[in-house]
Amino acid sequence: MATVTFDKATRIYPGTDRAAVDKLDIEIADGEFLVLVGPSGCGKSTSLRMLAGLEDVDDGAIRIGDRDVTHLPPKDRDIAMVFQNYALYPHMTVADNMGFALKIAGVNKTEIRTRVEEAAKILDLTEYLGRKPKALSGGQRQRVAMGRAIVREPQVFLMDEPLSNLDAKLRVQTRTQIAGLQRRLGTTTVYVTHDQVEAMTMGDRVAVLKDGLLQQVDSPRNMYDRPANLFVAGFIGSPAMNLVEVPITDGGVKFGNSIVPVNREAIAAAAEKGDRTVTVGVRPEHFDIANGEAKALAKDEPAGVAVTVNVVEELGADGYVYGTAEIGGEQKDIVVRVGGRQVPMKGEVLHVVPRAGETHVFSTSSGERLSD
Amino acid sequence: MSASMAAPDTAGPVTPPAGTPRRAKGITGTRPWVAALFLLPALVLLGALVVYPIGYSIVRSLYDAGGSGFVGVRNYGTVFSDSGTLTAVRNNAIWVVVAPSITTALGLIFAVLTERVRWGTAFKLVVFMPMAISMLAAGIIFRLVYEQDPNQGVANAVISSVHDTFSAGSAYPGARPRPGADLAPTAGGSYTTRSTVRPGTAALLPLVGIPQAELPSSAQQAGRPRGGGITGTVWLDFTPGGGGRAGVIDPGEKGLKGVTVQAVKVGRVVASAKTAADGTFTLPATAQGAQLRLPASNFAARYGGVDWLGPTLVTPSIIGAYVWMWAGFAMVLIAAGLAGVPRELLEAARVDGANEWQVFRKITVPLLAPVLAVVVVTLMINVLKIFDLVYIIAPGATQNNAMVLALKLYLTSFGGGNDQGVGSAISVLLLLLVLPVMIFNIRRIRREGRR
Repeated sequence: MATVTFDKATRIYPGTDRAAVDKLDIEIADGEFLVLVGPSGCGKSTSLRMLAGLEDVDDGAIRIGDRDVTHLPPKDRDIAMVFQNYALYPHMTVADNMGFALKIAGVNKTEIRTRVEEAAKILDLTEYLGRKPKALSGGQRQRVAMGRAIVREPQVFLMDEPLSNLDAKLRVQTRTQIAGLQRRLGTTTVYVTHDQVEAMTMGDRVAVLKDGLLQQVDSPRNMYDRPANLFVAGFIGSPAMNLVEVPITDGGVKFGNSIVPVNREAIAAAAEKGDRTVTVGVRPEHFDIANGEAKALAKDEPAGVAVTVNVVEELGADGYVYGTAEIGGEQKDIVVRVGGRQVPMKGEVLHVVPRAGETHVFSTSSGERLSD
Repeated sequence: MSASMAAPDTAGPVTPPAGTPRRAKGITGTRPWVAALFLLPALVLLGALVVYPIGYSIVRSLYDAGGSGFVGVRNYGTVFSDSGTLTAVRNNAIWVVVAPSITTALGLIFAVLTERVRWGTAFKLVVFMPMAISMLAAGIIFRLVYEQDPNQGVANAVISSVHDTFSAGSAYPGARPRPGADLAPTAGGSYTTRSTVRPGTAALLPLVGIPQAELPSSAQQAGRPRGGGITGTVWLDFTPGGGGRAGVIDPGEKGLKGVTVQAVKVGRVVASAKTAADGTFTLPATAQGAQLRLPASNFAARYGGVDWLGPTLVTPSIIGAYVWMWAGFAMVLIAAGLAGVPRELLEAARVDGANEWQVFRKITVPLLAPVLAVVVVTLMINVLKIFDLVYIIAPGATQNNAMVLALKLYLTSFGGGNDQGVGSAISVLLLLLVLPVMIFNIRRIRREGRR
């Protein structure tokens, strides 16, 4: 058990100018489950491999506990890693795979056996201990890879997209198993994924990366409620947040035919930079369908934005309406969540108003969050 | 379906109408004569070039040298009672065990190392290059490499220069005292004076038998010892141009530098000195009354290097040449196998705490096992048939020590023996030796195919 610290850790691949990971600065508490998430090529796997010692650190430092491991080889870091394709040793049985690290460490045979059997029991692998990996299903292989990590009782678990080779249903199931196992063992864990749903459901905290730069580290709740910038706002949440560029008006911003109230200082800050517009973000579930009831700016038109329905996704409990709206003279795609029982028809026009207090305002030029 | 059985015209289209004659087809749906036609060229070639020669060899091995008299298995009796054939079998066994294992090990090392260095591909090219040379040319190259004379053979040139670096050679190989001088040969090739030394009387130790050309260019005119004490001169008692007197230091005669002179009393060395540039030496007073000895180390012959193609080393030497040729082949195959080993497995092992050697031993080598088996078996088959390298490298004097079955077969049948009956018997023996390896290989390939 230990803390993990990335202290301005930087990785520049030979032959490139741009850093793959640029001054990554994260402190991970003892026993915490941190998820690194981002689109492909954002440097999340590189960060993990730097922590594992499989990738050089060109600048800055990485510490596990109080120990500076920046330039230590992987074998001296006391970590265990689960790879995307599991990297099980094909010539060894499940038991040998799980006990390999202990064997290398010179633990005696009877203890290796008891620890492997213990881990196998936790992961429901007892009857497969004598099999070779090729005789296992994808889910079982994944569990063996997990078993190989937990048998060692390392200071830190590293997981590099361990679920991406599983089918959708098994993935959801294993997701909760891994999260549960981690809570039970209380081992500090760094988990890499490109799937923001995994990130939101599993992590104590989530770190969003883009182009090697850390965008935001926060709890999933805060990440969802208060995204720090346009990128995080668009990345976290499914379907994605609606981001619409709107002009600044007195007392707020004009959103279709209504006013979205925004903090005065924020508006002032944006205006000071010379911005005429700001970007307003509204999550699909934060639109209210207002057919005539809400207060409108122009008297002759209904309140809110008129959305023409293109596609409706019915998910049973609720539905998502994918439509287009004309905002500021431009056609914009808008996603609105509606109740499962009041699903509009294709081609219908909905008037939607963003719910007060649930809007996010970002600076158009810098992408930074303006509202609080 | 059963309901429609009564009405034959409603039967499904897949059921052929009953009673229609159909041409017989094999399981692949091909007519037998078409199949035969396509197989014919291969069958004819294999039959003419493989099956018939094997069959004929077996038959021929039962006849005498002329090929007319049936002798039964007597040829086999000749083969097994001939010590030359037994040497060949023993050498073949050495070859099969040693050559493939060394070649594969070397190939593995090269493959793993070249993967990690920047100029790996260039290195691979160089190691693979000998494969482009014919066995004959390689044999000639190594015949020269193993030449006894360090001036011609690279192997001995290296060995003797290393040897000379660590142990100084003798100063004047082949030198001997002038006949009639006071020096007499004694045990171990040394020379000892009959008389004893006294202070004030210089000891004269004349040597001959050194060509003028081999004297160091710094050699000086031999000097008379100066000063008191026990002194003397070692010099080359030969005047260039003639006219010198025996046992006397004449003008033009050179002193011999660096000769060790020992003072011996009753078999014990009491003092020793080295001669100066003009050949003079001075011994301490304790040497008084001692005999002077020039130890054998002054005259030892120059180190001749290793007798590579002598009776004991000839087979290992030829195996060395074979390894030089085939290590590149092993390396290329193993490198291809290595490229197929997933990087993650090696990374996983490193994260699991294994050091590089353990990763190599426990992960890389087991994963390469199928490739290593292919390489070893291919080399084994190749080595059992080895002929050209042995025929070319082994000199006539030690050819019998280097004998292998294929060479024995050739020599018995054509190269002097002219007994194709016994030759055929040897060829059958060779076939029987190769067969198990072939069967092993075929079974392994089948097993791989099934996987």
